[in-house]
Amino acid sequence: MKPALLKEVIKSIFSKPATIQYPKELTPVELDARGRHYPDLSKCIGCSLCMIECPANAIIMKKIPEGYEAPKRNPKKIYPSINYLKCVYCYRCVTVCPTNAYVTTSEYRLGTPEPIFSDDLSLKTLVSGGKSD
Amino acid sequence: MADGDTVEATKALEIPMLLEVPVGPQHPALHEPILLKVYASGEEVVRVEINTGYNHRGIEKLAEKNTFYKDIFIVGRVCGICNTVHANCYVRALEHLLGKEPPARAKYLRVLAMELERLHSHMLIEAVMAEILGFDTLFMHIMKDRELIMKAKEILTGARVLADYQMVGGVRRDLSSEKIERLNKILDLVEPRLKYYMKLFEEDVTIRKRLEGVGSLTPYDITSHGLLGPIARASGVSTDVRLHDMYEVYSEVPYRIVVMDGKDTLARMMLRWEEAIVSLEISRYILKNLPEGNAVPDEKRLPRVFPEGEVYTAVEAPRGELTYYVMSKGGTMPYRVKIRTPSFNNIINSGFSYIGHTIADVPVILVSYDPCISCMERITVVDFRRKERKKLLLKDVVRGRV
Repeated sequence: MKPALLKEVIKSIFSKPATIQYPKELTPVELDARGRHYPDLSKCIGCSLCMIECPANAIIMKKIPEGYEAPKRNPKKIYPSINYLKCVYCYRCVTVCPTNAYVTTSEYRLGTPEPIFSDDLSLKTLVSGGKSD
Repeated sequence: MADGDTVEATKALEIPMLLEVPVGPQHPALHEPILLKVYASGEEVVRVEINTGYNHRGIEKLAEKNTFYKDIFIVGRVCGICNTVHANCYVRALEHLLGKEPPARAKYLRVLAMELERLHSHMLIEAVMAEILGFDTLFMHIMKDRELIMKAKEILTGARVLADYQMVGGVRRDLSSEKIERLNKILDLVEPRLKYYMKLFEEDVTIRKRLEGVGSLTPYDITSHGLLGPIARASGVSTDVRLHDMYEVYSEVPYRIVVMDGKDTLARMMLRWEEAIVSLEISRYILKNLPEGNAVPDEKRLPRVFPEGEVYTAVEAPRGELTYYVMSKGGTMPYRVKIRTPSFNNIINSGFSYIGHTIADVPVILVSYDPCISCMERITVVDFRRKERKKLLLKDVVRGRV
């Protein structure tokens, strides 16, 4: 008796491989997929709501370091710092933010041996806003 | 002793010729951490002890220590495969507590997410079954096609696996008409594949030889041991929460309950293919008849404090009836969250069904129950009957422990 899968197997031999050669070739993801996100500090008011609501406790509030001028709308001069290795990418912080300060991306390549935080990305938004010394 | 003398025996050493074969918790034939202690006489299985507790994470306790809203994301992590059903069951409990009713569009989108999940869950277990049978080519092919459904889930919810899609009062992202078109295209691609695999399982000699007549469960076994979901339906017991409870929009979508009379492993696997096709039909209907309106609630305006009360909700997870009991004493945190998953019933109570089969059939029967260990292990229940007669195993005799 002929094996039932034979036709399928012969077809597969002559077709393109289904495997994606990551990291040489990137996995296609949706543009609005939940990837790396960071707070835009020109919009952040330092209310800490994202830290309170985070289910993974991945967000801590840090003081805006010396050399950066905090916006007037942020009187406490604090900003959220996301630990990306703790984050579960549920985007609860994005949806509860009262000023919609979070910038979302579909970046998923976050594998690293060291802990990574959102600080650099966030502080860049402050510099690009022309608020630094 | 001279020949011909007879000596009356005063003592008898009873040696059951049993082999104890541990299957799991780490075992190449199992994809889940569970220990099946299989006692076999030759090739025939005479007793199976099921040991669990290798994946206990204390999620129910964690839920008590976090707010109602954080728990939506925590319960989604009980199980990766069925995260939207867990979240849906919990979110509906919260909605009952608040007396809130989500809009019709949100209900349709929730059902769509849950049906896509059922589709990929069933495809996964069929693929695993093919692998257990040694049919790795089929495993690869099914997994390749399952990836299409994962893509559909990513388009709908924003992530392949952990959807985090449900929220009190609706869903967390809407579906545009362009996305609906893409989802329809994916479903068009998947449907012929599902029918092809179904035919394959029905006709392939190797698969039939391994599955037919293995692990038969009579309707009496199902009801007396409290087995749920596809296992019950494959033995002719018509039980489906979608039909009994009509939660969300199951009263509106055309839905047929699939019941088979085969009773064996093959029937369970065939039933899952049939159910996958039904899920696909439901998804198609929803994409065609999606009501207009706003499905996404403003999460900033949701009430933080919940009223006092107790709620018990149920959903039909891919593995059977999943229930949540949420107790609130007012405030922002639940007093108690009790989760009862279908795998808990299906795996722990099914030890009897391995008896009489060969050792090679044990993984096949276990996989046909679609075990989901991360789901069931929030509590450990040890309830094995104490043996009254002390028995000696062959290995003990060999080791001189007589």
